[in-house]
Amino acid sequence: MAELTEKEIRKLNREIEKQGLTYTELQQELLDHLCCDVEAEMEEGLEFVRALEKVRGKIGKDRIQQIQEETLLLINQKYRIMKKFMYILGMIAPSMLITGTIFKIQHWPGAGVLLTLSLFILGAIYLPVFVMVKIRDTRKKGKQVNMPMYIFGLIAGIIFIAGAMFKIQHWPGANIMIILSGIVTVFVFIPILVIQALKDKENQVQNFTILIFVLSFVAITFMIYALRVSKNVLTAFTVAAEGHINSTEIVEARNKGYLDQIELADPDSEAIILKAKEITARTDALDDYIQDMIVEIVVKSHPDNLAAVDSEGNILLEKVSSKDMVGSVEVVIFGDEGIPGKGKELKGKIDEYRDFLAKMADPELAVMIEKLLDTSPRGEAPLPWEEYCFRQTPMMAAVNLLTNIQTNFRIAEGEVLSQLLHGQLVEVGE
Amino acid sequence: MVSNDLLKGTLKTIVLKLLEEKGRMYGYEITQEVERLTQGKIQLTWGALYPTLHKLEAVHLITAEEVSIGKRVRKYYTLTESGTKTAKEKVQEFLDFVTIMGQILNPKPSLNLG
Repeated sequence: MAELTEKEIRKLNREIEKQGLTYTELQQELLDHLCCDVEAEMEEGLEFVRALEKVRGKIGKDRIQQIQEETLLLINQKYRIMKKFMYILGMIAPSMLITGTIFKIQHWPGAGVLLTLSLFILGAIYLPVFVMVKIRDTRKKGKQVNMPMYIFGLIAGIIFIAGAMFKIQHWPGANIMIILSGIVTVFVFIPILVIQALKDKENQVQNFTILIFVLSFVAITFMIYALRVSKNVLTAFTVAAEGHINSTEIVEARNKGYLDQIELADPDSEAIILKAKEITARTDALDDYIQDMIVEIVVKSHPDNLAAVDSEGNILLEKVSSKDMVGSVEVVIFGDEGIPGKGKELKGKIDEYRDFLAKMADPELAVMIEKLLDTSPRGEAPLPWEEYCFRQTPMMAAVNLLTNIQTNFRIAEGEVLSQLLHGQLVEVGE
Repeated sequence: MVSNDLLKGTLKTIVLKLLEEKGRMYGYEITQEVERLTQGKIQLTWGALYPTLHKLEAVHLITAEEVSIGKRVRKYYTLTESGTKTAKEKVQEFLDFVTIMGQILNPKPSLNLG
């Protein structure tokens, strides 16, 4: 029996490849068949080139592609649809994720929906389909499937993506999920992956790359957690905010005393009494406005924080959780998805109140009030007051700031009332 | 020559029957064997044979085994357990079919000449 040389086999292989055969299993089989044909012709005394000429009719232009298509269609229609589906999702989900992130940063409407949907596609559809396809491919090659690797990888991946989804939606349990997926990854998935990478000589580069990416990913996630504001700092903010609240209470009581005294001291000077009452009313309104804002931020940070708020809107700061949450402050102050933020409004109200008080105070006190309630741009490269105070600020730091503003209002109110009481009022516009 | 139309429905039966007899065969061998048995009256084309083989493999009636032959790889097929069973059924089914077709195509001369 004539046997073909390696070179001749390569030539035949090229003939087949030229026709667009990509399904390797079929390619090898057709190559063997073609070789047998050529060998049979050569057995009859023909030279290789002649023999090839004779059997070339068989290779025919569209023939081979057609065989391939028919074969693939027959054997694994479902599988191919699944694979195509996977590729499409694999392109859609990340683009949606990136778009959603941009929307989120810009606080445009639709960010939440985009992020949640893309994460859902990734976790609930893409990942399982990928694992199924991968297992099938491995089986098809006649290799053993490392089931624990796929199962634990799938579990860790799904829990992590679900955790990210919960985190974005501010649903409870997000942190536990992310930590759990970290534990599964570090203690189960990575060891299995390392063993697999050492064992599987053929896909070593691929496995090694996956390993490196998983490790980097875990490291970055841990780093993000490590970068969170430390507990001590948050406790300090909490204590300071509680201090402000207590100060406000004392100053408020004192101011009430001033008002009573003004009314008692000279019941005839109606103008002064009215003025004092207006000051108190405006201060109360602003105080309530800021208190509402604090409650909104606190409750947005964690739904359970609602339990720490009493019916009058006072907050037990000790019981508040998610003290390092930045998102809630951002949403309330700077707005989100088309809902306008309250930062500018807050600044406007402070400005209006400050001017109102300053006009009533004597020049010396007016300067002090201007300073106490200053909202001019700040920082090295001056930023608008609300940006400087609240951008990327953890929840408890923002609460601290707002309670401080409340205290300052009461102090300013008290000073002006005390001035009124001592009959040193500078009558404006009279 | 047997027409492709007629062959289509019976190709599975032919492949299964041959594998049942020979045990282990590869693609080229199957075409050669069919040609030999039919004195060249049935010539299996690639286009008919390979899709059928892969389909049978996909439904686990046959299994494949790749063997390195010199500088190339040869794929041998064997029947699985269910394949053996199906082969017998298919052959019987086809023989029955031939008998029935015979009744239609060569009716016995009727005795009732009345």
